[in-house]
Amino acid sequence: MNSKDLIKRIFYGGLEHELRKEVWKFLLGYYEYESTYAEREYLESVRKLDYETIKSQWKSISVVQAKRFTKFRERKSLIDKDVVRTDRSVPYFEGDDNPNVIVLRDILLTYSFYNFDLGYCQGMSDLLSPILFVMRDEYEAFWSFVALMERLGPNFNRDQSGMHSQLFALSKLVELLDHSLHNYFRQADCLNYFFCFRWILIQFKREFEYEKTMHLWEVLWTHHLSEHFHLYICIAILKSHKKKIMEEQMDFDTLLKFINGLSNQIDLDSVIRDAEALCVCAGGNGAACIPPGTPPSCPVDLDAGLYDQQDDEIL
Amino acid sequence: MAYMSDDDYDYLFKVVLIGDSGVGKSNLLSRFTKNEFSLESKSTIGVEFAARSIQVSEKIVKAQIWDTAGQERYRAITSAYYRGAVGALVIYDVTRNATFENLERWLKELRDHTDSNAVIMLVGNKADLRHLRVVSTEDGKALAERENTFFMETSALESMNVDHAFTEVLTEIFHVVSRKALVAGDAVAVLPKGQTISVSMEDEVSALKKKVGCC
Repeated sequence: MNSKDLIKRIFYGGLEHELRKEVWKFLLGYYEYESTYAEREYLESVRKLDYETIKSQWKSISVVQAKRFTKFRERKSLIDKDVVRTDRSVPYFEGDDNPNVIVLRDILLTYSFYNFDLGYCQGMSDLLSPILFVMRDEYEAFWSFVALMERLGPNFNRDQSGMHSQLFALSKLVELLDHSLHNYFRQADCLNYFFCFRWILIQFKREFEYEKTMHLWEVLWTHHLSEHFHLYICIAILKSHKKKIMEEQMDFDTLLKFINGLSNQIDLDSVIRDAEALCVCAGGNGAACIPPGTPPSCPVDLDAGLYDQQDDEIL
Repeated sequence: MAYMSDDDYDYLFKVVLIGDSGVGKSNLLSRFTKNEFSLESKSTIGVEFAARSIQVSEKIVKAQIWDTAGQERYRAITSAYYRGAVGALVIYDVTRNATFENLERWLKELRDHTDSNAVIMLVGNKADLRHLRVVSTEDGKALAERENTFFMETSALESMNVDHAFTEVLTEIFHVVSRKALVAGDAVAVLPKGQTISVSMEDEVSALKKKVGCC
């Protein structure tokens, strides 16, 4: 089977869980489709060592050193706080002193050294959790997470530019695909689409149960039909509740509450089907609504620093 | 204080919870609204909601509480949620000095985005961790006095002062609204149920008209 057929099959049906570990690496760009088995074996051996090197950078920080390294302490404290409240009801992370929670923490801390400019941002632990669950091995989970963050890193930009550009593209797409809904949001002063913020920031991680989230992610990662298929997913969900939203004349606050309440109430299969139809229907006009460089596309200006270097002053 | 049914209320007040990440905002909320506490509850992305009604001077006041994400980079988004809030609990962790030092910035943020009459309380949470405390009650009180806000120390874990803090804020909002109702000729009494009450100094009736117009 060639890669195009593979991608199509995943888009239309998802993956058996046992295949995920191998296939996600291709979808994420960790492996190249054209690579040979020997090349991948070699890559793994290099990556394993590379991971250990980066990890040792923070592992070797002594107590005395940490006292003089505020940013490290702040990030570590934030990560420590977040890993113990990430998916603890999933059996893999359940219970006191669960070693997988420690691995989650170690990977996030290592990532904050791998990508020091970006550091750690809330939401990252949600993105890493299913990846670790699938990969099991610490270094493979790390490099898969790195590959995902190559696409989603801008979601966490300090100035929120990555999020704003996606929310902007979303509003343009709704205007194209559903004019009456767009007009409703305009008159209700809801065009900032902040009510879709959580959906986009962590790829619907809080909207579906664990298994469904993994299914949705592999569909999104195929980039079949569109790199920005997640925006069509947003529209499909909004459209399925359009009648209620408009009949009840929801204002910004009510809408935000309503959308939050949809968590675990959305039928994923029908939403993917609807989003596909919307994406096909939008065609080139849809693609034209999305400015170049909108995540998960690569940034336009690759020469500039990838991430805003100023760290959060409040953590 | 009894828990009441969701739709049975005379007043609806929007209250926001703000403060650094990990100070216990979500647990204060779940303690107040559901009498629950969990160290494993998920971090807040964007905003989350809960509501509870209490009785104040024979009226039923429903608090719709907005629990916001704490990390600074999300503030541009979270500040959009302050709109229309009539009360705020600005929360810090008595065991982490940085969360106390950041209060002034949270207060500025809040005052930039809400009405000047919004009722604000500084809340020092995690008061149960006595051996780890680094921010004294006196320092908390002094800052509250300087900033002209209410003050309370709480423990969501031990359920200490949580109801008290929320009730005090809601009662004060009720009083602000009642005082203005007198001035504006009892306009509040005719507010339709479900209308969020504004505490701005504008003429109550015109404020109400505007609200109806926009939603």
